[in-house]
Amino acid sequence: MKHRPLLLAAALAALLPAAFAQAPRSLTLGLVAKSQGNPVFQAARVGAEDAARDLGAKHNLRIRIDWRTPNEEDAQKQAEAIEQLVLAGAEGLAVSCSDANKLTDAINSAVRDGVPVATFDSDAPASRRFVTYGVDDIECGKQTMDELAKVMGGKGVVAILAGNQNAPNLQRRVQGAKEAAKKHPGITIRDTYYHKETPQDAAARVEQVMQANPDITGWCMIGGWPLFTENALKWQPGTVACVSVDALPAQLAYIRSGHVPVLLAQQCHQWGYRSVELLVDKIVFKKDPPAVKEISPLIPVTKDTVDAFAKNWEKWLPK
Amino acid sequence: MSRLRALFAFQESGLLLVVVVLGVMFTVFSGTVKLPVWETQPDGSRRRVFTVNAEGERVPAVVEKNKFLNAQNLAQLAKDTSFTAIMAVGMTVVIISGGIDLSVGAIYALASVLGAMVLTRYGPGSPGEMSPVLGLLLGGGACVGVAALCGLVNGGLVVALRVHPFIITLGAMAILRGVAFVSTKGQSIGGFPAELRDIVRFEMGDGLSLVPLAVMVAVAVLGWIFLSRLAAGRRVYAIGGNELAARFSGIRVERVKLGIYLLSGLTAGIAALLSLGYYGAATSGDGQGYELNVIAAAVVGGASLTGGKGTALGAVLGALVIQMISSGIVILGIEQSYSQIVIGAVVIAAVVLDNVNTWLARRRLSRGTV
Repeated sequence: MKHRPLLLAAALAALLPAAFAQAPRSLTLGLVAKSQGNPVFQAARVGAEDAARDLGAKHNLRIRIDWRTPNEEDAQKQAEAIEQLVLAGAEGLAVSCSDANKLTDAINSAVRDGVPVATFDSDAPASRRFVTYGVDDIECGKQTMDELAKVMGGKGVVAILAGNQNAPNLQRRVQGAKEAAKKHPGITIRDTYYHKETPQDAAARVEQVMQANPDITGWCMIGGWPLFTENALKWQPGTVACVSVDALPAQLAYIRSGHVPVLLAQQCHQWGYRSVELLVDKIVFKKDPPAVKEISPLIPVTKDTVDAFAKNWEKWLPK
Repeated sequence: MSRLRALFAFQESGLLLVVVVLGVMFTVFSGTVKLPVWETQPDGSRRRVFTVNAEGERVPAVVEKNKFLNAQNLAQLAKDTSFTAIMAVGMTVVIISGGIDLSVGAIYALASVLGAMVLTRYGPGSPGEMSPVLGLLLGGGACVGVAALCGLVNGGLVVALRVHPFIITLGAMAILRGVAFVSTKGQSIGGFPAELRDIVRFEMGDGLSLVPLAVMVAVAVLGWIFLSRLAAGRRVYAIGGNELAARFSGIRVERVKLGIYLLSGLTAGIAALLSLGYYGAATSGDGQGYELNVIAAAVVGGASLTGGKGTALGAVLGALVIQMISSGIVILGIEQSYSQIVIGAVVIAAVVLDNVNTWLARRRLSRGTV
């Protein structure tokens, strides 16, 4: 009984630091990607949530990622989501723009209301976003064509495959691929083929094009949609060359089967992770990025590196 | 008691009740948000108000408001509703007649891009500028005129070929989107002079853009007058109720149908013009899938897909209910993936309720006649 005051003092001493410790600051960040169904944006979402967890623990923050992405690509719906997120109290936004022109006003309004905006994957260059993170699309197209030309020994008939005809980033990649093809006099571009952005539509388009043009010897896929399905490339490995952007889990099977010698992985998990890092720096630490444009390089995935790369997806995909 | 009964006697009272219940629910559960404070300068421009915090730093002033029940959010809700609601009024007229128009999304896209192209070429401050007013009229006229023309062609094909409007407008959907793509080469058209945007985004009071709301109300009122006060509107109900009987009673069915599809195109054009003004750009991918949103709004608003039933006010309320659910999900911070499930359930529930209502009305009628 005589030890009671001592015990009380010890208990108080143990509780005091907890009482004086600062409660974590809450921070809501909006994430508006192009479309829900696209796995690259699912990886970006996981990246943003990973960054929220890591940075939250590091800086004593409670970061919530508010994911508001249209089912299908729709810039108007994205603009509405930006406006709604600002009114719902988001303190920062990361946006991948389906149509830069259409989103510029919405981004500028958010910035005017004190909500900083970062863009990733697809930029709105005329807007007041403070940073953009992603690949250089022209370079991406060039790199894909250069890799393909290398595989084809610098000669052959090439088809370029892109997804949504309206997507400005794909248009720039096509432009880059065509520019790069000029450096390889033995390469002839048959045409650029677009498709509805579903794996089935993309695979069907490859099949249709091959039936109509059996002389095609190379595919420059600046969007990797057909490779999200199994058995999309109905030819013997090595007979038709194929290089594709992205290295999603389903695509990796084509490296292993020998149909695709090189995949160029976009760092889609980083789109989300890095965007959140940049936003936290800007909002919490009032720190601007060193440059408005932050380029994320493409990572080549080959037969030698495919297994190591595949392990990343265990962390990057939603559980 | 009789007053209360009278209040709930009109056709859309159920929907209005749903809107009120949703509004109360969102107000109670949404919590608060800190919004920036603005002040209007003598020259009419708005500037953020700053204050000094405890550390002596200059920080932007904020005011705490209910997340749902604040003027900015309600204006935003009205704006987001307006594009679908305006098209839903036109779609309701088509559905009342027993038809359907699957091409409204494509008409919206084509009208937007052509309007944008004309504004870029002839609008105020552009290379081929005539006069600011003329340029704007030309751009707006191109947008709405092309949409009305597309509607008229749809109607003409439905009447001339005697093919179900589902097939005609499905084909038109693909053709018109293709034309929009070919005309723009898949590029987004923006950066045209700001005059149209200044009109559509005109801010009143606390920075509220109420033009989309005003246009939506005007279209709803005109739709109500057309359907319930004019003989032309009555003819639409007659055709939807029983086309053969309407024909035998002397109604020129083909002529009415032409007008119906023209109206549907016209409302898509008005929505496209508003969107063009508000967002300042257009692409051939605009309005993808909007036909289903518009049909859903009309059906939730009480239009019967078998024809003969529906109102303009119901269409607007239907669009409002769907948008409230969609916005409410953001406001309440609910996982977005659930929004499709909720909206789909609302559409089915609306149709089921409509069927129950029709069944009860028939039962009452049969009891009255016995």
